[in-house]
Amino acid sequence: MTEISPFTAVVGQPFMQRALVGGLLTGALGGLLGSFAVLRQLSFFSDALGHSALLGISLGILLGLNPTLVLIPFAVLFALLVNLLVQRSQLPTDALLNIVYSTSLAFAVVCLSLVTTYKGGIQQLLFGDILGISWLDLALIAVLLVAAVAYLLVSLRAQVLVTLHADLAGAFGVGSQWHRIAFILLLTVVVAVSIKAVGVLLISAFVVIPACASRLVSRRFGTYLVLSSVIGGGCAVLGLLGSGLTNLPSGPCVVIVQFFGFLLALLWSLRGRPQRLRANPAVTP
Amino acid sequence: MAVLEVEGLRVLRDGVLAVDDVSFQLAAESDTALVGPNGAGKSSLVGAILGLIPRQAGEVRILGHRLGPAGQLPAQVRAQLAFLPQALPLQGRLPLTVAEFVGFGWDPPGPRLPWGGGGARRSAVHAALAKTGCGPLGERLLSELSGGQLKRVLLAFCVVRPRRLLVLDEAQAGLDAPSTEQFHSLLFDLRRSEGWTVLQVSHDLDMVRRSCDQVLCLNRQLRCSGRPELALSRAQLERLYDPADLPSHPPRQAPMGRPRIG
Repeated sequence: MTEISPFTAVVGQPFMQRALVGGLLTGALGGLLGSFAVLRQLSFFSDALGHSALLGISLGILLGLNPTLVLIPFAVLFALLVNLLVQRSQLPTDALLNIVYSTSLAFAVVCLSLVTTYKGGIQQLLFGDILGISWLDLALIAVLLVAAVAYLLVSLRAQVLVTLHADLAGAFGVGSQWHRIAFILLLTVVVAVSIKAVGVLLISAFVVIPACASRLVSRRFGTYLVLSSVIGGGCAVLGLLGSGLTNLPSGPCVVIVQFFGFLLALLWSLRGRPQRLRANPAVTP
Repeated sequence: MAVLEVEGLRVLRDGVLAVDDVSFQLAAESDTALVGPNGAGKSSLVGAILGLIPRQAGEVRILGHRLGPAGQLPAQVRAQLAFLPQALPLQGRLPLTVAEFVGFGWDPPGPRLPWGGGGARRSAVHAALAKTGCGPLGERLLSELSGGQLKRVLLAFCVVRPRRLLVLDEAQAGLDAPSTEQFHSLLFDLRRSEGWTVLQVSHDLDMVRRSCDQVLCLNRQLRCSGRPELALSRAQLERLYDPADLPSHPPRQAPMGRPRIG
């Protein structure tokens, strides 16, 4: 019998295996949706969604219901309302979203302080807890990943054209409004389901960082999407392993790994740039 | 059969009447310019024709198919029309190559897998890039194109599939004189070879005089229409524009009192 290494001990735990599979799936999902969210300037929107999710969870705890089951319908309703507000209001979007997320955070913290019996504690909700991933969450994430991949693949042309120019897409019969809502709902559900492992404060990093890293090094749209998902999934697994080994909170570990991924991509893109310009001299307009 | 028929079109924009009782037809393979001062309702008219914004009254028929009240058109009609915007504001943000972009122009409307079409798609993209002089640009990102190159790539996006009606919004916006010239001669050639019918919003009256068959002068209502040499006479222009900001030739005569517009 060989001595069990700390690595094997951590990976051998059923909760850790659940967490790793969950992390791989949510990371890939965040990267995939993020690649469109970043282009459509929805990064801050996903941040607001994360904060509102805390309010949803708090309400669930307050009402004594399963937080995950309360969270999804709550987040969907919330996203639709915020979307309506952003579209109808004359105020700048970032200011509106700031109001929305700070208010949800305030209400959520007040709700949570009313429930003295909550065993998890606010720390886990804010920064993520790998122990929090259940079989139900895993099943939900898997279904979501399949749905998201199917929807984005089949509507890829519509997504790209809508992002480029709404009227150009509209002339081809692509309903910008419809795709906008569908994408926001998908993003909302993904954020809601990922929130346990990642934490409220850092969820938007899951959406933004892998996509930006991929953007820096991709020279085709297909590559951009795939690489963004791979970076998202890979960083999540590495971060969760790190969290398991060091007993540090899972969300920050993943985000730190993502940041190093981004840094590598940045260095790579800077290194490649001068050579690329020399290799492809500008064609006269 | 006219490619586009508009009858009694009325469009409200933010509660204000932007287009009032406009009727006209575009004959097949004609090139029509839509001119008028800023705020005359040109983009509202174009938006309503393409079914992007609702109309209050009137009928629009494209290739004989009636445009539904919420902009519905059969998919095979949609596939035969294209809209070219002035610019792509997010052009720099998407890591999208020219070939990928033009490929999206080939795809018929509706849900489909991105790798659908295979070889046929690839050769259509290749041919479209060659026709528009964009051959060497295929692997470039949209963000790396100059203004003139982007316009040519937009034409490649149109030419990649047989189309009947092209609507252009101020094609010359942001282009210097040589690029504008180049764009219009390319558009002229493609219109002939592809059998396109063109409707273009324009402020460049010189270009309109040289290359268009028909002019529509819009200031909420259709003020005049017809062949450029008649529709763009000094007297007609003064009815359309404020004489102080007549956009270009003919050489200015002493203004004889301000015509009232609107």
